[in-house]
Amino acid sequence: MGRYIIRRLLQAIPLLFLVSIFMFALIHALPGGPEAVIFNPHLDAAGRAALRARFGLDDPVPIQYFKWLGRALSGDFGFSFVTNEPVTDILGQRFPVTLQLFSSALILALFIAITLGVLSAVRQRTIVDYALTTLSYFGIAMPIFLFGLFAQDIFGVWLHWLPTSGTQSFGYTFDPFGAFLDHLSHLVLPMLVLAISFIAGWSRYMRSSMIEVIKQDYIRTARAKGVAPIPVLLRHALRNAVIPLITVVAIDFGAVAGGAAITEGVFAWPGMGKLFIDSLEARDYPVLLAMLLLGAVFVIGFNLVADILYAVMDPRIRYS
Amino acid sequence: MDISDQLNVTQEEVEPFLELTPALVQKRRSQGRIIFDRFIRNRAAIVGAIFLILLFLFCFLGPTVTRHNNPDAINVTSVSATFAGPSAQFPFGTDYVGRDEFARAMAGGQVSLLVGLSSMLVAIIFGIGIGAFAGYYGGVVDNILMRFTDVVLAVPLYLLLFVLSASFTDHTPKSIIILIAIFGWTYAARLVRGEFLSLKEREFVLAARTIGARNFRLMFRHILPNAAGPIIVNATLLVGSNIILESVMSYFGFGIQPPSSSWGNLVSDGQGYFGVDPKLVFIPGLLIFFTVLSFNLVGDGLRDALDPYMTER
Repeated sequence: MGRYIIRRLLQAIPLLFLVSIFMFALIHALPGGPEAVIFNPHLDAAGRAALRARFGLDDPVPIQYFKWLGRALSGDFGFSFVTNEPVTDILGQRFPVTLQLFSSALILALFIAITLGVLSAVRQRTIVDYALTTLSYFGIAMPIFLFGLFAQDIFGVWLHWLPTSGTQSFGYTFDPFGAFLDHLSHLVLPMLVLAISFIAGWSRYMRSSMIEVIKQDYIRTARAKGVAPIPVLLRHALRNAVIPLITVVAIDFGAVAGGAAITEGVFAWPGMGKLFIDSLEARDYPVLLAMLLLGAVFVIGFNLVADILYAVMDPRIRYS
Repeated sequence: MDISDQLNVTQEEVEPFLELTPALVQKRRSQGRIIFDRFIRNRAAIVGAIFLILLFLFCFLGPTVTRHNNPDAINVTSVSATFAGPSAQFPFGTDYVGRDEFARAMAGGQVSLLVGLSSMLVAIIFGIGIGAFAGYYGGVVDNILMRFTDVVLAVPLYLLLFVLSASFTDHTPKSIIILIAIFGWTYAARLVRGEFLSLKEREFVLAARTIGARNFRLMFRHILPNAAGPIIVNATLLVGSNIILESVMSYFGFGIQPPSSSWGNLVSDGQGYFGVDPKLVFIPGLLIFFTVLSFNLVGDGLRDALDPYMTER
């Protein structure tokens, strides 16, 4: 077990290294790449040279890569072309905002997906099951940006129930509790939209793994010795049925950067995803590069977490 | 189940029984027929398939048949006549500058379906090539190709597509098709590799090799047809997800841009006028939704029909 984890960790390192080379090369190969962006036509030769030196563009690309990698490993991703702030600071401001949206959506989605999955597994081939199956098909087929757009239009524009973008209303609220409520009301729509996009897939996983588990002998044994129906489901069946779901959740959480880009873009939620879209429009390459790398770290890291969790929670699986 | 399968006898041996108990013996069916019959019985998949057929007729034949073939013409003479509701002349009404929304929905659909289908085709061909070589040769080839696949899989897809589309493409359908295909092959490659890994150990491969079949012939004439089921299912689902990818890119302005229009592009066009005329968002939006839903239903129906372990009811 311990050796398995160490082996997986050691495999992840060269992978990350390759990904970072791939992305660095990509960003530098872009037409109108870093060079073109910072070249202001009003700049004289000396100013140009100073800028090149400041962003380290005089070295050959491989040297630039290793310098960048060395600094990146110590947490320094250079400076934004647009605001001149250190990229690390910008990401530091944006990350908690994304985490807020993501973790709240995740918790909500987990709770609802498990409930619905168990419900349709227990009531298999009934009207409840068919209704939930249909709904999850709808959820999977609905692109997240359309879902967000419809939600904004219906709850924001038509009904005026909830704010549709940003994290707070115009003006300043002196009452801290009022400000908190205002913030929460801004969180509701993006959180729901993000959660529903997860629920559709997860409840399917939950349903199929629950159906597998409740067919097994130990569940019949538990029923036979007189355990009440609900405790059988929650204490005996759910514990095993939730294992495959957890790995899926970990993998989906790894896609935080990609998933956030769409939801945050639609709802102007000022997190990492919004930062990415804004940086792309401004061709802010140091920020883009840092975010692509961070995104890859998340994907690889959470894939690893998924594998390890799977191994820890299911002792039947053997790794050689 | 066919009675001749159950009895493990050939059709000829069954014939005598046929006279005795004609009600018990069904006509022997080919494998394709069995799959088709199973697919037909899946109501959801049939609804999806019929919707897709109608949709293709709507998008590709519709403009010529209904003569709504001029999506870019401005049909109103005054600003006050824009945002017209449905009428006999314009079944979906007109948009914010008075263009025929019916014609625009069909023209956008052509692009969206074309992008979905052709990027699927290119991605599947890449995936089959890479997966087949990795799975068949194994060892170093497998290692190199699969590490390469891992690198592509590790990059957040949306972020990468946005960056590349903003910088490399000219925002025509062709460039978007190529872009989506370049990153869409990873799942197919893993799938094909897995199939090849298990199929290459089977007796029929050994038999073919014994009579002198070369590597290429073994890979593409003997092994590949046996892996066709999962590949077809994956291809069908890929069309749906490619349509979503394209619409997301177009929505954020990194995808297809005017003068070409796609459904994603129409949604992003119409969203500024939602308060005035919600149909400009709902028509293309629901078209995307039902198209993706149908591709998913057909894909799942095919999976059930092609799965040999699925018992017939």
